[in-house]
Order: sequence, then structure tokens, then C-alpha cells
Amino acid sequence: MADTKSGDINTGNKSFSEFIKGFWKENPVLVMLLGMCPTLAVTTSAINGLTMGLAVVFVMTGSSVIVSLVRNIVPKQVRIATFVVIIATFVTMVDLFLKAFLLDLSKALGPFIPLIVVNCIILGRAEAFASRNSVWLSLVDALGVSFGFTVTLVFLGGIREILGMRTFFGMSVLGEGFEPWVIMLLPPGAFITLGFMLGAKNLIDRKMKERKKY
Amino acid sequence: MANEQNSLILSTSPHIKSDESVRKIMLSVNITLVPAAAFSVYQFGLYTLLLYAVSIATCLVSEYVVVRLRKRTFTLNDGSALVTGILLVMVLPPRFPAYGVVLGAFVSIVIGKQIFGGLGNNIFNPALIGRAFLAATYPVHISQWILPRMSAAAVSGATPLAGMKFDGIVTPFSDLFFGTVSGSIGETSAILLILGSLYLLMKKYIKWRIPASIFVTVIVLGEIFHLINPAKFPGPVFHLFAGGLMIGALYMAADMVTSPITKKGCVIYGCAIGLLVIIIRLFGGLAEGVMYAILFMNAFVPLINRATKPRIFGTGVNHEY
Amino acid sequence: MSTRVKMILILTLFASISGGVLSIVYLFSSPLIEANLLEELKKSIFLVVPNAKDYDEKVIDEITYFECRDESGSTVGIALPARGNGYQGVIKLMVGLTPDLSRITGIKVLEQIETPGLGGRIGEDSFQNQFKGVQTEPAVEYVKNREPEKDTEIQAITGATISSRSIVSIINKNIQMLKDAL
Repeated sequence: MADTKSGDINTGNKSFSEFIKGFWKENPVLVMLLGMCPTLAVTTSAINGLTMGLAVVFVMTGSSVIVSLVRNIVPKQVRIATFVVIIATFVTMVDLFLKAFLLDLSKALGPFIPLIVVNCIILGRAEAFASRNSVWLSLVDALGVSFGFTVTLVFLGGIREILGMRTFFGMSVLGEGFEPWVIMLLPPGAFITLGFMLGAKNLIDRKMKERKKY
Repeated sequence: MANEQNSLILSTSPHIKSDESVRKIMLSVNITLVPAAAFSVYQFGLYTLLLYAVSIATCLVSEYVVVRLRKRTFTLNDGSALVTGILLVMVLPPRFPAYGVVLGAFVSIVIGKQIFGGLGNNIFNPALIGRAFLAATYPVHISQWILPRMSAAAVSGATPLAGMKFDGIVTPFSDLFFGTVSGSIGETSAILLILGSLYLLMKKYIKWRIPASIFVTVIVLGEIFHLINPAKFPGPVFHLFAGGLMIGALYMAADMVTSPITKKGCVIYGCAIGLLVIIIRLFGGLAEGVMYAILFMNAFVPLINRATKPRIFGTGVNHEY
Repeated sequence: MSTRVKMILILTLFASISGGVLSIVYLFSSPLIEANLLEELKKSIFLVVPNAKDYDEKVIDEITYFECRDESGSTVGIALPARGNGYQGVIKLMVGLTPDLSRITGIKVLEQIETPGLGGRIGEDSFQNQFKGVQTEPAVEYVKNREPEKDTEIQAITGATISSRSIVSIINKNIQMLKDAL
């Protein structure tokens, strides 16, 4: 296992590139197509997407830091089991927090908060990154990936909310003259919107590449 | 140089020489739709003419824009966008809002066809994709019916299928046959659709096995359920001529791109559509199931094609000689 | 130390820490969560039974219902939690009834996943308010495309007959079950 020493804290450049990698180049939703279940199911509004995303930010940064801290004392035979215990702890904390303070959001997100435990993105980052990198780099990586997830979900939820309910974060943005597209609140709306977002991401990447060439 | 190219065509076999072209086939389809479309304008008023115009215009513009964006040049004048535009309106309710038609036509062409790579690559019938999108987008508008000008019924605006399913009213056969009933714009007159498609069948632009197997399945299953409980389930003739079965079977299920290419495949495909139509109509939450039946089976066409691929002569396992 | 022993030790350690942390979090959050749920229950009960100021939870034949009292302590109505299948999934309702169960005093849709903008409109006040004062004998009924005439009728939502019918049948079924039990 490659073990980077604490000197990384000073190499801000590397941290930044790790963050960008998780946020854009290897965006969990738009590039890796992981975590599709919460991505498609809960994003009927921007606030749902944001809450889901922030829950993942908390679980991911927490578990990545802990996993990275203990990476040298956990025997490799039980590492997955240990990681799942760590992740489940953070997920349960989020779940209880939402139920105690934000009951309406907790209801809207339903079983998808507890299901973060089995979200491939988090276990994937724990196994592929945090368990073989320093605490600082793991934290940066977790922040990049989870904020990439959050921003994507807010976009997806925002587009669906605007077209499906004429509002954005509950604020009215389209006038009465626009008749809401109910399909956007239904599963097909999620798939169609995500498809267009994937296309847009690839288009932007291609344009950026072309510009680099000249 | 140009002369040489014209005089000598090099290509691999098979060498088929035929004057059929996509353009010619699509134009024939358009022309055969004219009687039913004209009848629909008479029945439901000039507003439907506006819808046809809006739909066709949106289809052509969307096609043009996407083709330009994809840097392709060949699909605009083949007439397929025109077919989609007309068919989309024909399966919508008569008072559907025009902005909804614009959206539906756009979705038909862009999501239904061009995203898959244009005509020939689309998995689903584009007009039905547009219709399905609109059904989910404007669920209230999609179920608003009006009485046609020549109408058999006096008061109820419900379609024959909805009347049968929710109120137990059976519409007489002649009304269904001639189209003096409420329903989607172009689906009501069975006779005009049949007459139109006869030409296409003659020219073999429609694979006759598909509509034939749909009709046979619907008749057989309709009769079986009618015999089981005549009070609850209407007879096979009703199923055949009510709702969108005619337009669906003749013009949409038999669409060249989205139907199987093998003869056996066509029969399997048609029977499955017929079965789904009957199941949805009799036991589903919706009154009409032709659209979803066809879209559902569209998805299976590649599988059907592969499963029914004929053995190439001289290959495969054959130890009998 | 052999790997096997280490494995067991480490996993046990992590599980214990996790359990410890979670019990602390739970200790702090559970009173809040219970208060939240109670608050919601109260809100829905007082919404469907007007004039109710307090209630007693009663259970009879495994049917839970809430007997509501006003300030003077006399019974003003019954709130009955009801559930059943809608068009797309389970619908949960709170039904308010007069003490003799003959009239509905109000309903509140607590949970539903019907089509937004169509069946989802069962959650709107204009639909729910129709049930105020509706007779439950012999049964609640729905009519389509016209104003209700009888005391037992409500008007179904246009284009969402199935969701409207589900609400009516859930109400009828649950009231009948309570009547049979009492």
C-alpha cells in the first residue's frame, strides 16, 4: 500500500487536484454512474437533493477520515466489515439527526438515508482511496467526491423542481403561464434529466479539450 | 472523375435494384393518412388543423436543428419527420393544448429518434414516445374528450373504451367502424384507416403479419373473455374497432424501423402486442393500452430478431443426412 | 498475536465503539424524535375533529383509535387512523368522526405517493374538505363530473378516479371495521 507522509499538507497543488478529480473528472454520478438509486429516487426537488447530498458529505468525510486513521491496524481480511460498521455508524447518526430536527425532509427522503450505508460511492472511496492514503488526502478526496455528488443532485433536483413544480428551493420561478410537466416528478423525468446532464458534461469536457489544443 | 463514378458502381453483394426509397415509402404513408386526417378535421373542428400544422412544423424544425448539430445532412427531406408529426396528433385528444403538441413533437424527434442516431436506429416508435411523454406530462389534458361533429352519442364525452371500462356502456359496432365516436383525433374512423393502409399492404410497406397477428390475438382473447363473462367483458369486435387498435396496429406497430425483420418474429411481436392490449384494457388501470403495448414490445424487437434469426444455408447443426 | 485473534479483536473493538457512540446519539435524539411524532399525531387528530382539545388512545381488537374530548371533558368525536392501497402505493389517512360514527367531521391524508398533479391532489384541501359532514350510512360514495347530491356523496377528482375511489373505499372499510369491533 502506498503510504503518503504528512508532508502532503504542504503540497496544496496535489490536494487541489484530488479535489477536482472527485468533483469533476471522476464525478461519482456523471462519470462513474454510481449511487444511481438515491440520485434518481429522491431528486424531485432541489432541497431533497441538497439534503441527500449533505448527508453523504457528512458520512463520507467522517468515514473516510476514520478509515484512513485506522488503515494500518485493520487486518485486510476484515477491512470491508470494519468499513461498513464505520459507515453505518455515521449513517445512523445522520438518520437520527434528520428525524429529530428535520422531520419533513426525513420523511421525503424515506428509506434512502439509511440506504446510504450500501451506497457504492462511499464504500468505494473507503476501499479504493482512504484505506491507502493519508488522512489529509482522504479528507480532500472525500470532500471532492461528496460535493461533486451534492452539486449534481442539486442540479438534477433543481431542474426537475423547476419544470415539474415551477419552483426552485420552494421559491416560485416560473409564472402561472407555464404548465408544470408532471413527468419531471416521476421516474422517467429523472432518467431523462440525468441523460441530458451526462450529455452536457461530455460536451463541456470536449469543448475544454478542444480549447486546450489551440 | 465524376463521370467515372457514375458509370461504374462498385459494391459488395447483394445487388438489389429497386426504385423504392425511404422518401418514397414515407410519402406513401403520408398520403394514405390523409383521408383519416381530413375526416378528423371535419369531426373535431379546425382546431385540429392547427394542431397538425404545429406538430409538423415542430417535427421538421427539430429534425433540422438536430441534424445540423450532429453534422449529418441526409434525413430532413425523407418525410419521416412528417409521418411522426401527423401520427402524433392523430393519437392525441382533440382539444390538446398547442404548446403541449410542440413539446410532444420535440420529444418525439429528439428523444424518440435522433438521440438513438436518427431514422433506422431508433428503438421506439417516435410518435408514441411523444405521446407517452405527454401522457405523463399533462395527465389531465390527455384524458379530456369532446364529442365529434357527427356523433352517435348525445351527451357523454367519454371514449368508447372508457365508457365500457368505467360505466359498462358498449358502443355499437357501426359507430366504431365509421368513427362517429369520441376519441383521439385520428383514431376514431376504423374504415378510413383500413382503406389507407390497404395501399401500403399492397405495396408491402407494411409487413402484413404484424397487424394480422395483432388482430387475431385480440379477437381470440376478446372472445374467450367475452364467453367467460359477457356482462363485464365486451366482445372481440368491440376490441378490434374501439380506441387506437387500428391506427396502432396498422401504422405504429408495423413501423418498418421498430418492428422485427423476420417473419416468425413479426408473428411473435404481433401476438404479444395483442395480448398486452387485452390485458391492459380488461385488467389494467387504464382504459386503453395500445400505446404501452407497442412501446413495450418495441423494446423486445432486437431480442426477437436474434431469437428468430434464420439459419444460413449450409451452416448450423444438422446431422440428419 | 495471530491474525485470527487480531481480526476478532479489531472488529469487536469497532463494533463496541460504534455501539457506544450511537447509544449516546440516540439518548439525545430519541426524546426529540418522539416529541416530533407526537406533535404530528396531535396536529392531524385536532385537524379532523374540530373542538377537540385532548384525546385518549384506545385499542379494540387491534384497531387503534383516538377518543377526543373538548375542554369540559365530554367526548366530541373519534379520530381513526386508516390505511389502504391507492393507485400507486399505500395511502395513510386520519379520519375524524362524530362519536356515534354516523358522520365524518374531516379527513387528512398523512402519506401518499399518487401521481403528482393528478391523484396527488387527494392531498389538497379542496378534496379533503368535501368529506366534512358526509354521512357514513350506508356507505360513502363518489360521483364523477357532477356535483354531489346526496349526503353520502363526494366528487371524484377529474382524471383521478382510481385515487378518489381508493380514499372512499379505505374510509368505508376502516369505519366498518371499527363499527364491527365496538
